[in-house]
Amino acid sequence: MSIRPPTLREKRRYLLARIDPAETPVETKDLYYAVYEAVVSLFGDMAAAAMQPSVLAIESGHAILRCRRGAEREFAIALSTLSACRDYTLAVRVLAVSGTIESLRERIATLVPQEPDVPAQDGAGEGVPDAGPCEYRFGTTPVEPVVWHGHKVDVIEKGFKNTRRLFLTTEDLEKIHATTIPDGL
Amino acid sequence: MKITDACVYPYPVGDSSVRRFALEARSFGYDSIVAADTPAAEVCGITVIPGIFLAGIPAKDVQSRVKKSRGTGAVIAVQVGDNGFNRAVASTNGVHILRGIHAADKRAFDHVAAKIAADNNTALDIDLAPLIFGRGHLRQKAIHRYIDLMILYRRFEFPLTISSSARSVLGMRAVREVTGLCSLFGMDETDVQVALAGVGRVTGPVESVVKVIT
Repeated sequence: MSIRPPTLREKRRYLLARIDPAETPVETKDLYYAVYEAVVSLFGDMAAAAMQPSVLAIESGHAILRCRRGAEREFAIALSTLSACRDYTLAVRVLAVSGTIESLRERIATLVPQEPDVPAQDGAGEGVPDAGPCEYRFGTTPVEPVVWHGHKVDVIEKGFKNTRRLFLTTEDLEKIHATTIPDGL
Repeated sequence: MKITDACVYPYPVGDSSVRRFALEARSFGYDSIVAADTPAAEVCGITVIPGIFLAGIPAKDVQSRVKKSRGTGAVIAVQVGDNGFNRAVASTNGVHILRGIHAADKRAFDHVAAKIAADNNTALDIDLAPLIFGRGHLRQKAIHRYIDLMILYRRFEFPLTISSSARSVLGMRAVREVTGLCSLFGMDETDVQVALAGVGRVTGPVESVVKVIT
C-alpha cells in the first residue's frame, strides 16, 4: 500500500517508558512480543488490532512505544500488567505521552544523568560501580553491587547457587573491612 | 488522608528491603506502606506500618491472635475463607482487613457479610497481583470477583483497601497505574483515592454514624 498524504494518515501517540530494573538487557523485538502479549491477554485481539501497539526503540534504559491516538490509556494499563520479557523479570513504567518521537528523545536526555566522574559507591551518583577493593554484605549475605542509582542499590547475592538480584538501599549495605573478618588476620 | 499500599512483602520473603520499598513507594506517590512482619518505622518520609497477615487458621485462632497483637499498632489482615468464616471474622473486633477475595468462592462474600463488614468497619482488600501477574482464567476470575465486590460496596459502603502484594519493587505500581488497573472493574478515580486511604480509615478512631449537634 502506498504511503498516504499526511492528512489521511492515522494519528499516533508515542509513550516513553522506563524499564526497571536498570541495566536489563532487553531487545526491542523481545519487548514488542511481551507488550503485544500483555495487550492481547488483557483486551483481546480486537482491541489490540485497533490499538496497534508497537515498540520503536530502546534507548538508555527507556523504551519508546507507539499506539493509535485515543488508545493511550488502555495501552498504559496493558503495560502495567507487563511483568516479564523472555527470562527477565521487569516492569515498564510509563513516564510520558507525546505526539512526536523527538520530544520523547529530548525527555530521555533530561532523565538520563551524566556519567559520574568517580565511582558512585558513596550513594551520591549513579552507574555501575568499578571493581574495587570494597566488599559488601546485606545482613549475613555477601553481595555484589551491580547498579547504583542515588540511594538505590541493586545487588547480586554471592554464591554458587540460588543467587538472586536484591533491591536495597545504601543504608542496607554494610562494608566488609579486613578487620571485621574473623579470620582475616 | 494517607495513600497506602495495604500489603508488601519485604526481604526475606521478597527480594527488596523495607527501605527500598519505602523509597520506591515515595516515587510512586504513596505516603505509607503496610509491610509484613516488619516493625513500625518512618523511612524517607514514608510511614511503614507493621502488618500481620493470617491465613488458613480457624476463626477462634484468629480471635486469639488478634488479642495477642492488640496495642502493637499492626494492621491485621485475614485471608477470606467460606461464608461462615468471613462473617465471623468480619465481626471480630480488631480485624482490619479481609484479603484474598479474588481467590474465594463466589458465594464466600455475600450481602450479609458485606453488611457485617460495613457495621464493624472491616475493609475488603483489592489485591492487584492477580491482575498484574495473572493471565487467562485466574485474571478473569479476579476481575469478576472485584466487579461483584464493587456492587456490594456501592450498596453497603464498607471500607476498601488496595494492595499490590509485591514481593519485589518490580511488583509495585504507581498510583496512576493503580487507577488504570482498577478502572478494569468499574472503579473511578474517586473510588480509588478513597480505597487507597482505606487503611487509615480502618486503623483510625471510629467515627460515629450519627453526629449530635448541640
